Amino acid sequence: MTQTPTLVEKDRMDERAKRFKSPTFNLQLAVIFILAVAPFIIPSFTFMDVMAKIMIFAVVVASFDLLLGYTGILNFAHGMFFGVGAYSVALILYYSKSPGWHHILLAAVISLVISIVLSLVISFFSLRVKAIFFAMLTLALAEFAHILAVQWTSLTGGEDGISFVLPGIFNFSWSGPTFFGTQMNGRLMVYYLILVCAVFLFAGLVRFVRSPLGRVLKSIRENEQRTVALGFKTFGYQIYAIVFSAAISSLSGILFAMWICYVNPDSVFHTAIMVNILLMVLIGGMGTLYGAMIGAAFLIVTETWLPSILKAGASFAPDVAIIQNLSDRWQLYFGILFVLVVMFFPKGVIGTIRAMLGQKK
Amino acid sequence: MNPVPAIETKELTICFGGHTAVDSLNLSVEPFTLKSIIGPNGAGKTTLFNLISGQYSPTSGKVLFNGKDITRMDVATRANMGIGRSFQLTNIFPSLTVLENVRLALQAKEKIGMVFWRYYRDFPELEDKAYDLLKQVLLHEKWSTEASLLTHGEQRKLEIAILLALDPRVLLLDEPTAGMSLEDVPGILDIIQEIKDSRTRTILLVEHKFDMIMTLSDTIAVLQEGRIICDDTPQAVSNNEKVLEAYLGGGVKA
Repeated sequence: MTQTPTLVEKDRMDERAKRFKSPTFNLQLAVIFILAVAPFIIPSFTFMDVMAKIMIFAVVVASFDLLLGYTGILNFAHGMFFGVGAYSVALILYYSKSPGWHHILLAAVISLVISIVLSLVISFFSLRVKAIFFAMLTLALAEFAHILAVQWTSLTGGEDGISFVLPGIFNFSWSGPTFFGTQMNGRLMVYYLILVCAVFLFAGLVRFVRSPLGRVLKSIRENEQRTVALGFKTFGYQIYAIVFSAAISSLSGILFAMWICYVNPDSVFHTAIMVNILLMVLIGGMGTLYGAMIGAAFLIVTETWLPSILKAGASFAPDVAIIQNLSDRWQLYFGILFVLVVMFFPKGVIGTIRAMLGQKK
Repeated sequence: MNPVPAIETKELTICFGGHTAVDSLNLSVEPFTLKSIIGPNGAGKTTLFNLISGQYSPTSGKVLFNGKDITRMDVATRANMGIGRSFQLTNIFPSLTVLENVRLALQAKEKIGMVFWRYYRDFPELEDKAYDLLKQVLLHEKWSTEASLLTHGEQRKLEIAILLALDPRVLLLDEPTAGMSLEDVPGILDIIQEIKDSRTRTILLVEHKFDMIMTLSDTIAVLQEGRIICDDTPQAVSNNEKVLEAYLGGGVKA
């Protein structure tokens, strides 16, 4: 090799040196830090609930973005895998007499197996058909899962769903020592479990899109004919992406079920969840991965607090019937908000910001 | 010399509806030589390329690569075996950087496409090799530019770098100078000449620039209406009556 480094070598060394100093890396650390200390600063259950759901959905949405944004596959069964994870942990903990650690691990393994097998079946049977048919087929499959959860009452409890208790320190009745004036309890432990898992899964997704495999997916979306002519068998790569995202979705389903300790068909299998995931991807920005956090935060925050804000606003005019009625319809305002976001951030929040920063360079 | 042709077609035929684009074509390319394929528009040159590289499968007939029947293999398999293809219309990854275009080809060559647990830049040897290849086609100073921002001539050079990255035994070059400005053409010619002189790869070239073909080619095959009407040395081809008729007489008739 030559004595002086080539431009590429220099660039690579620069990047490596800055890996732990870059603003994005610091921002990531800050987000993790804020999520970690949040329960101590604001000890309200609603707040913690919002934070936990944002983390879970950020992972689900990011794994969906891996398919839609990076690979161009619209998989409506993504929400179904979420439900598969949720139901497997719920059923195992409900039917085991003395739930223990190993049951959660078992649920993780089982849901991974189910989702990998199901996603392989989906991809083999339908990836060769046109994109729109693939979307329809997966939608039908997801609907089938919903019906199955409703109808198979002897196993799933039907519409009533199942509630279950968590083992050990995750049990809601468990309480531990007090730190900084906040008592450790089962909820808090689950919160931290979610935090750790979400960070881990999200990092896995980021690594996935920046891996050699992720680059191939990107090149397929960019120019499939050229990618094939390079010798990549695109079909195999697309299967890889579908299976990987399905596995992550089912793992986050487990976290979701553990957080509320209750599942029913509508809470984890309903099409509305899929629609929410789709909205979150669009709000955050397709093909950005980090947009998933913004999208999830936007949707869950408005869903939780918009109704009460409207109520508070309406209480200034208690006698005006129309204002009272309008304040009940929080989804109307959510719709307006969504339209505004799409108007001002046509590529999603992160996508549009990136495009603006790119132009300035 | 190796008696087995690098590329051979046997009674290769493809029909689109009622139109026979390539008609019982027998072509044989000796290893490590450069054969040009010329012919009027619609003679079936690009179709022939698509049949050899696997984009089309023939109605009947066979394609052999180093004596091996590859007729039923898909594009990716053929590419992995060593058949590299450039396209008539520039075919690159427009929103990736120049270096990344070549790096992806190297990644295909090295078969590390299925790795998902490592950062893609943690394979420095790929990047360095890509950079070396860019040097060969004199594009190394633009390695970090987005490919869509290159001039047309530079994009064609990039395509050749991508092809070289695959280290193919057979290069199919479909009009590498198409749409290029005049000052860019010699650069591409030098690159092709260099590959040819190294005598390590077989080249099949489709071109319209006659003087360029005359100097570059070892042999020239002339295609007309899906058939070969002449396959000989450049000297012989330029004196062949059928060829003159196809090029000049055919124009007059129409």
